[in-house]
Amino acid sequence: MYASIEELVSDATIKNLPISELVIQAECNDMNVSRNNVWRKMKHNLDTMRLAVSRGAHGIGVHSKTGLTGGDAVKIKDYRKSHKTLSGDMIMSAVQSAIATNEVNAAMGVICATPTAGSSGTLPGVLFTLEKRLGLDEEQMVRFLFTAGGFGMVIANNACIAGATGGCQAEVGSASGMGAAAAVEVAGGTPKQSANAMAIAISNLLGLVCDPIAGLVEVPCINRNAIGSSNALISADMALAGCESMIPADEVISAMDKVGKNMPESLRETGIGGLAGTPTGQEIRMRIFGKNL
Amino acid sequence: MSNLYRSVFDIIGPIMIGPSSSHTAGAVAIGRAANDLFGGIPERVIVHYYGSFAKTHRGHGTDYAIAAGVLGFDASDPRVSNSRQIAREQGIDIRFVEESGESPIHHPNTAVLDLIGGDKRVQISGCSIGGGTIEIRNIRLHGIDIKPTGPLSIILYVTTNTERDNGISLIEDLNRLAPFDKKQVLKNNEYTIYEFDLKQQLQEGIRGFFVNKYENIICL
Repeated sequence: MYASIEELVSDATIKNLPISELVIQAECNDMNVSRNNVWRKMKHNLDTMRLAVSRGAHGIGVHSKTGLTGGDAVKIKDYRKSHKTLSGDMIMSAVQSAIATNEVNAAMGVICATPTAGSSGTLPGVLFTLEKRLGLDEEQMVRFLFTAGGFGMVIANNACIAGATGGCQAEVGSASGMGAAAAVEVAGGTPKQSANAMAIAISNLLGLVCDPIAGLVEVPCINRNAIGSSNALISADMALAGCESMIPADEVISAMDKVGKNMPESLRETGIGGLAGTPTGQEIRMRIFGKNL
Repeated sequence: MSNLYRSVFDIIGPIMIGPSSSHTAGAVAIGRAANDLFGGIPERVIVHYYGSFAKTHRGHGTDYAIAAGVLGFDASDPRVSNSRQIAREQGIDIRFVEESGESPIHHPNTAVLDLIGGDKRVQISGCSIGGGTIEIRNIRLHGIDIKPTGPLSIILYVTTNTERDNGISLIEDLNRLAPFDKKQVLKNNEYTIYEFDLKQQLQEGIRGFFVNKYENIICL
């Protein structure tokens, strides 16, 4: 297990190994399990993600029990076919996969939490877009997940990944940082560039609050994953272009931790402040649960 | 730095039924720990919610998640969202209480479960720290309060004071197969409970070994 991003990057540089490889080796050693076992488990996670992405954008899409959300991934799929998108097809493909996954999650379908269920669309948005864009094979896709997970472990152990403790920055922000770092590796970038991509991505979402309407993982959670994926791709591109984060990755993580600790409770997954606290947010809560706060 | 997240699969995973890893998958895990601690399905369960759990449990499906765990289901089990009905059909009384005070274990995602069956009564206090990972911070068993530190896995070994079992054989097996960071020995007039915080998550095969060999062992 790695204590810091600096340690992870310097170990990868010294050993001349990709971060995904270090993460696989650490998992085998720390958990005392075979490489085969570890690989199979991650492959199963990848398959689960693929199913959710395709289920959410299939037919009329999926809809949550509350009726608040659903069907947007299908709208985006159709729009991509019939229009010249403003932000480009690659970004909109990431948006589609991210939203499809979180719509499945909101409809109580099966997803893989990455790192959480509320932020489960961000990584698939990045990964399945890069699959087509870079022609990734299965091995590269599984490695993408190990790299993302390795960065995520450092974030989780030095800050947090729960909206109730750190706000949405800890969920979608962390997922976006993980996705950016892993995108750099599959695109052939260096471990240092991965760290820069993670730092840029988290910095861009620093301070994001967790304000789910009626306490449901629907609004604004689903759309925020679209931003998480797009932000990851942009941050990865910037790092690959040679742009650097002024603040080192580990300090960005620690800043996120402090911002989360200073966030009022009403903005940490209580369904009280932010969008949840607006007249419309409160009215929706009343309609669904018949209870005012 | 904490080392609460020890495996890459704590971050990429679990595979689960939505909508929330902390409020649904984590809640299933707390319910599962309660089931393991009780040694099966109790007749009556009172669930006390604190903090974010108290405010958003209905929106997140936390109630059916806890019920699913108490019934022994996994987070990815398709029966998770029907678990309250399944519990009712089996005659299990599960009640949920939104507590307004501070969490007794100091975390915004806290559930304290009282499990009752016959004259057996146990209490477990868990918190869901994100991504489906949980911590059990207090256990009340045979009237003894136990405060484990760190995430699962936790091993409890319950002996009556008349048995004069000093746990040596178990400790030797643990050192060999499942090393621990910390050991606590807690006593009252009737019972002595040994508590071990393991360094790694207990693998299924090794768990089976301990459960088969030691009658009064609880693996969380």
